[in-house]
Amino acid sequence: MSAISGAVQRSRSGYEAAVPETVQRWLDRNGSLLLVLPGLFAFATFMLFPLVFTLFISFTDATSATIFQGAQSFATVEIFGLSLPFGNYVKLYADPQFWTSFGITWLFVATSVGLKVGLGVFIAMILTGDRVRGKRWMRAIVIIPLGLPGIFTITVWSGIFSSARFGLMNRFLSAFGAGPINWLQGSRWMAFLAYNVTEMWLAYPFMVIITVSALQAVPAELHDAAKVDGAGYLHRFWHVTVPAIKRPVLFAAILTAAASFQQFLIPFIFNQGGPSRNNELIILYGYKEAFQQYQYGYGAAIMLTAVFFIGIFMWINVKKGRLAEGVDDE
Amino acid sequence: MSLARRLAASVREDAYNAATAPARAYDHARYTVEGMRTGEVDPTEVAKTVLITLGALAVVSAMLYPIYYVFIAALQGEGATLYSPGSDLFVPSEPTLEAFLWVIGDIAVSSYEIAVTIPATGYDIVVQTPAIELLDVSDYGVERTSDFPLYLKNSLYVALVTVTVGLALVVPGAYVLSRRQFVGRMKVLYGYVLFTQIGGGLGIAALIALYLIFVNMGWTNSRFMLGLYYAAVAVPFNTWLLKTYMDSIPVSYEEAAIMDGASPARVAWEVVLPLAKPGLATVLIFIFLAGWTEFVIANLMLEQQFQTLPVGLYALIGDYTIPWGRFSAFALCFAFPIVLVYLFAQRYIESGLSFGGMEG
Repeated sequence: MSAISGAVQRSRSGYEAAVPETVQRWLDRNGSLLLVLPGLFAFATFMLFPLVFTLFISFTDATSATIFQGAQSFATVEIFGLSLPFGNYVKLYADPQFWTSFGITWLFVATSVGLKVGLGVFIAMILTGDRVRGKRWMRAIVIIPLGLPGIFTITVWSGIFSSARFGLMNRFLSAFGAGPINWLQGSRWMAFLAYNVTEMWLAYPFMVIITVSALQAVPAELHDAAKVDGAGYLHRFWHVTVPAIKRPVLFAAILTAAASFQQFLIPFIFNQGGPSRNNELIILYGYKEAFQQYQYGYGAAIMLTAVFFIGIFMWINVKKGRLAEGVDDE
Repeated sequence: MSLARRLAASVREDAYNAATAPARAYDHARYTVEGMRTGEVDPTEVAKTVLITLGALAVVSAMLYPIYYVFIAALQGEGATLYSPGSDLFVPSEPTLEAFLWVIGDIAVSSYEIAVTIPATGYDIVVQTPAIELLDVSDYGVERTSDFPLYLKNSLYVALVTVTVGLALVVPGAYVLSRRQFVGRMKVLYGYVLFTQIGGGLGIAALIALYLIFVNMGWTNSRFMLGLYYAAVAVPFNTWLLKTYMDSIPVSYEEAAIMDGASPARVAWEVVLPLAKPGLATVLIFIFLAGWTEFVIANLMLEQQFQTLPVGLYALIGDYTIPWGRFSAFALCFAFPIVLVYLFAQRYIESGLSFGGMEG
């Protein structure tokens, strides 16, 4: 015991002799930073650095033939007599396929977020209802889809939306006398609808968890007081429940909007963004350019455009939604 | 040891509760009926409760039906299809475990030769352990089996790296972000919150550069680097999550420990970490799942013999047809353990998720 403390003492005095006093003082104050740095460093290596590297690639004409030899050159374009490396971007914004992808991506964000929030709050309301028996068990099993791998659920849903006459969705329709629909390869909007339904199903457990915990935080006295004042169910929902759950649900909606914007697997598995490239959500568009056409430079330009828009979108949301409030709490 | 025991006790308690739930429900129903007969309970109230509960059950069943449907498909064996008019919607007509046997394959302990040389005598003792065959699927008519065991091994390897490295990166960071002051703390937190939202999709956005980096460094086909990657991208969200959880632990416990003369490291290890267990469990599960279910990057980086379970699952999908029976069985074997962990860890996940910034 004393040997150990002696060793510690010796190393301590060695440390004091070797390290300048200013550094020592800084370390005493900020030494905890050292425990954050490994995580920051790992994240920077695998996420920030690739993003910066993507920026570089987007300025080049990198393809599978050039990039591995280091033989890529800048994709230049003449602007005001200057030769600038924005060739990919100029080409991209003149490409109608880009605007198709861009438009359908934002439309998908709008529709799917509406559906997700609606369904999530609906289920959460049901599963916290006073009259529902066994709601704890139902809550436990209703979030099972959260635990299922995305690749699994999305493939299953692509089977459900099979164009075959006896695909599950077509069987369901035929019960109402509607004919079989070629969901994924027929009409653009049927495929889009299929995307939305799937996205809704993928995200509802998350919305339910958040909303349930918010609903449980609403004091019962508020409801009782409103009841005593003679408020009806809808009135209570609008004036007691909604204000109480607004912020958590907004938070969840923002997170899930980000997920929708970056949705990749659903169009990738369903029909590769078809029919005829109409539903290529923007990340899939970039992926296909890079890994199916081997136009790495062009693909990188698409990806960065997506990152740029999502960055602005997220930044506004952090500011408006006061998401970072917890940061300022001491 | 004590942790394992407590975990076992908690699981036992949950299982006991689940097993006795029907009995309790029966008691409850009998009590209500009794009340109605004596006129203490208003029958219309009971009818309302029953109807609303049935309605809630219907909604839950409808949401979970796709999973049940897959389960039915798996039980229909190799010939299963989701397209034929005869495929069953609710109850499998001829259930068979063939598809599951195909997934699991043979379970056998192969024989080993143990040789011991007795020193100074020159004699060798050679013991041949017998091969133990626990399950031979060809007995049940399944000849060629799936690569599930290979994929499982790869996935476990990746997950082990992800969880070990991820926790080592996340826990100390979350602790000091919650409890200490240092230069740049606010900036780190702000950056983490921003990336928390963007999460997985940015991974795909950076995929092109990531792929080129991996190829250049010779890291493709490295399960270790893939695990490291999953751990690294899981850092912001999970650090933020655990930090906000730790914020909710009163500082007074630590102050008491410091008064008693505990060193800072001991305070962190013996006071904060045990109190943060629900948060830790949540973070552990999220980090584990980040790698366990990821498909896009694994699909791009790994060759066949290194591929993980999600990629193996995707490989089952043919160009024109999906072998639904086998696909479903494979998928269920892959997903079922996760669902079990989820069900038991749910109370921790819920309490861990309802963190500071999100409550009204």
